[in-house]
Amino acid sequence: MYRPSAPSVGSSMHPDRGPDNAPSMIARIMMDIAHQPHMDAGSSEKLVSLVEEFGSPRDSSRPFLTVLLRTQGTRIEPLKDALLCLAAQTDADFELLLLVHNASSKQSESVEHVVEQQPPLFAERITIVPVDGGTRGTPLNEGLSRAVGSYIAVYDDDDLVFANWVEEFHHLAGKAGGRLLRAKTAVQSVSLVTWPQGQAGFNTSSWPAAEYPQVFDVLEHFRVNQTPFMSVAFPSVVFSKLGLTFDERLAVCEDWDIILRASLFCGVEDVDALTSIYRRWEIGSSSYSDHTSDVWKSAEARVVEKMNSRPIVLPPGAVEEIRQLLADREQYAGILQSRAWKLSRPIRGFVRVAAAGRNSLRRLRHRGAR
Amino acid sequence: MGEARSVTVQSILFENEPGGIIRAAEAVANSARLARERGLLSSWALALGDCGTSPTLDESHLARIRHSVEAQGGTVVHIYFGENLGHGGGHNRLALQTRSDLLLFLNPDAVLGPDSLALLMVAVGDNVGVVDGRQLPLEHPKDYDSATGETSWASGACSLTQRHAFEAVDGFDHETFFLYCDDVDYSWRLKLAGYSVRHEPAARVFHDKRLTVDGDIVASPAEVYFSAEAGLFLAHKYSRPQIVTSILESFRKSSEKSLLDAAAEYDRRNFSGILPSPLDPHHRVSQFVNGNYAMHRY
Repeated sequence: MYRPSAPSVGSSMHPDRGPDNAPSMIARIMMDIAHQPHMDAGSSEKLVSLVEEFGSPRDSSRPFLTVLLRTQGTRIEPLKDALLCLAAQTDADFELLLLVHNASSKQSESVEHVVEQQPPLFAERITIVPVDGGTRGTPLNEGLSRAVGSYIAVYDDDDLVFANWVEEFHHLAGKAGGRLLRAKTAVQSVSLVTWPQGQAGFNTSSWPAAEYPQVFDVLEHFRVNQTPFMSVAFPSVVFSKLGLTFDERLAVCEDWDIILRASLFCGVEDVDALTSIYRRWEIGSSSYSDHTSDVWKSAEARVVEKMNSRPIVLPPGAVEEIRQLLADREQYAGILQSRAWKLSRPIRGFVRVAAAGRNSLRRLRHRGAR
Repeated sequence: MGEARSVTVQSILFENEPGGIIRAAEAVANSARLARERGLLSSWALALGDCGTSPTLDESHLARIRHSVEAQGGTVVHIYFGENLGHGGGHNRLALQTRSDLLLFLNPDAVLGPDSLALLMVAVGDNVGVVDGRQLPLEHPKDYDSATGETSWASGACSLTQRHAFEAVDGFDHETFFLYCDDVDYSWRLKLAGYSVRHEPAARVFHDKRLTVDGDIVASPAEVYFSAEAGLFLAHKYSRPQIVTSILESFRKSSEKSLLDAAAEYDRRNFSGILPSPLDPHHRVSQFVNGNYAMHRY
C-alpha cells in the first residue's frame, strides 16, 4: 500500500467531469474509433458493446461491490475492527474476498476463527482466499480473478470505513457513467499500547483529520498519490475488459499505480461524503515501516516510468491547467533571475538561520515542559 | 471462569431507521451466541423501548428481530412507551421489565462486535459497576488505565452494568438528564457508592457516527441543546459552581439559540428549586477537564 503523502494545495482539475451518466473518457474514445469509416462492422459492434458496458456497469444478478481485503493474519485485532465496519454497512450489496497473504498455518487459523465468529448473514458473504508468494499486488490479482461485483474496492486490514462507505459508492455508481468513484478520507494516528489483561492493543492518538484533497486532481497524482486505497471503487470492466491488473513488480505503490492508470482510462467521479479513516500507525508494522526508502524510491520511479513511456489521455481541462503551470514556471524563473532576488540573498539566508534558531528553541522548551 | 449470568440488552428507540435496528439485533444475537458458547451467558433478552411519536417498528420488523434473537435462545421485549422518556428514563423503565443479572445499554444504531458481549461480561465482575466498550469508527478519546481499564465514566452507547449496582444507585437520573451526561452521572454515582468504572477496549462496538467532508462531527440543534443543558446540570450536580457560572456566561454571550435556550432552562430550574442536590463536594470522583468529563488522550 502506498502511503499517500501529506496533502498539497492543488488545483481542482477533474478528469472527464461531465453531466450525470455522460460516458467516460475511454468510452468516448472507443465510440469515436467505432465510428471511423475504415472500421469493419464486426470490430465496430464489439467496441460499441464495450462502451455500453462502461456506461451501465451495474448488473443486478451480481453484487454491486467486491471488497478485496488483504491481511497477513498478523494483526487480528485491527482485522476485527475492519470486519465490524463492514458488518455495520447500511448497504449490504457487497461480497468480501478476504485475501490471506503469506500467512502461516497458525495465522490462517486465526483469520478463519475470526470469520467464523461473524454474524451469519455477513459471514455468508465472506470468502477466504489463501495466497502465497509474490508482492502486495499478488493477492489483489488473485482477488480480481474471483471478483463478481460490478465495482471493486480495496480495503486493508488496518483501516476503518464508516457505515455509509458502500452506500455512497452505490448511490453514485448509477450516475457515474463507468468512472472511478472517489470518496473523502480522514487520517487518524494510532499508537500501540497494552490493553487490560496484558493484551497487545492500540489507541487512537489524534482526532481524524480530513487532510487529503477533496477533489481528484490527475496532474497532482502524477507527482504523488493523494488517494488512499479504500477511498476509491473501480468499475470492474477496467479489469475484466480493459485488462488492467495490479503491478506485481511493485513492492509498494501498487495503489498509486492502479489508481493513476484506471483514472486515466475511465475518469473519476468524486463522492461528496467522507466515508473512511486511514489509520496512521505511529509504531508497528505497515507497508510504510516495512520497506526501506530505496524500495519506495524504486517503486515510485517505476510508476512514473510506466506513465512516461506510453501515450496517455488527459481529461478535459488539462490543457488549460498545463498552460497555467508553464506560465507559473516562467514567472518563477524570471523572479529567480531578477536583480532584486539576487540582491536579497543574504537577507534570505539570515531569515533561514533565524527560523532554524526559533525551531531549536521551541524544541528545547517543549522537551523541558514534559 | 465464574457462573453463567443472565443479560438484558436494552435499546431505546426514537424514530430510528428500522434496518439499522434489525442489523443491531442480529449482531447482538451473534454476540450472545459466542458468550453462550463460552459458558458465560445463561438466559438473555433484547428489550426495545420505543420513545417515538409513532411506533418505530412494525410487525414484520419485529418478526425479523425475534427470528434472530430466538435462534440464539433469547427473548424479545418490545414496549411502545407512547411518550419520549429520554435515554435514561427509557432505560430505567425497561430495567423494570426483566430480572437479569446484567444490563447492557446499547444504542439502537450500534453494532456489537462478535466477542464483545463475552469480553464485557468477563470485565464486569466483582466490584466493577459498569464497563464500556470501544467505539468504532470514531473511538472516544477519554483516557483509561491500560492495566486495569479504570476510567472516569462509561459511555451509555454501549456499557454493561451489574443489576445490583444499577439498583443500588437508583439507575439513571432521568429527571435531571434527558439525553446526554446521564451516563457520566451514573458512572460517578457508582464510584461514590464504592464501585469501579472500567473500559474494555477489546470489546468493540460500531456506533454509526459520521464526519462532514471537512472532518467535523455532525450535530443537530437538538443535540447541541441537550448536550449544553446536560453540561450545566452536571457541573451543578457535582459541586462546581464556578464552572456553572463560566458556562452560563459563555452561553449568554452566544448568538446560538440552542445555547441561549440551555442557559434559560438552567435559570428556570434554578428559580423553581428543582435542580438536583450537589454531590461529591470534595471532587473525589468527578472530573471536569477542558470541558470534558475525563482526561482525553487528544
